[in-house]
Amino acid sequence: MIKVRIPTPLRPLTKGQGEVEAKAGSVLEMIETLNQAHPGIKDRLCDETGELRRFVNIYVNEEDIRFLNGKETFLKDGDEVSIVPAIAGG
Amino acid sequence: MSDLVIPQHILDDIVAHARELAPYECCGLLAGAGNQVNRVYRIKNIVAMEGAENLSSFDPAKAAHLERLSPAERAEIAFVMDMQDFSMAKKDIRNQGLALQVVYHSHPHDPARPSVTDIKIATDYEEIWPKINLPTPAYLLISLMHAEPDIKTYWIKAGQVTMADVLVH
Repeated sequence: MIKVRIPTPLRPLTKGQGEVEAKAGSVLEMIETLNQAHPGIKDRLCDETGELRRFVNIYVNEEDIRFLNGKETFLKDGDEVSIVPAIAGG
Repeated sequence: MSDLVIPQHILDDIVAHARELAPYECCGLLAGAGNQVNRVYRIKNIVAMEGAENLSSFDPAKAAHLERLSPAERAEIAFVMDMQDFSMAKKDIRNQGLALQVVYHSHPHDPARPSVTDIKIATDYEEIWPKINLPTPAYLLISLMHAEPDIKTYWIKAGQVTMADVLVH
């Protein structure tokens, strides 16, 4: 299983859980699996063409997937994924 | 010893960034070694991008307020960092053997102190920094509300704001 850390703005979609588990072999599969369990999450992370939105980063074991293999990045049992929203303010 | 030592030319660079983008907010990062700041990374403010307000820890009231504004107006009262820029900066900071020290942004129309939104998002972010292998940074604000820019730096921890001790030289 993959451990996925959910940031505060997405927790309304995961019933308040800050960490969920998913069975997935790639980041893309993880997003699809999460979206089945927590509908709406994919829309928040990806645009209509399926690309990762510019105001979110996904880290696999502390490395940004943009520097790995993007959404095709492989995942294996025990990996930790963090969904990180943009730094923002008013 | 000061929390941070920031060279005048770096502050000048941040003020130039703030003035270039005014009346919109600018944002960026400072990095260095120990308490010595020696690099500025300008990051794009993408608050006007569709959906940005939904994934940026804005409280519901602020998000609703942003939705009522035009994209241009949004950038006058908020910033959302382009995380692609952020990742490039993070990588460069690591490659240079430096550490992230400061997150900065401007308040074109308001004082140089953290807004309620700034405090809430910084507090949310406290649990994220260690997960992405970065230290919790200080927060620097540049106000352009008066002719002379005002710059102040803060620590925001557990919702509490304290002034950082900064030496400029």
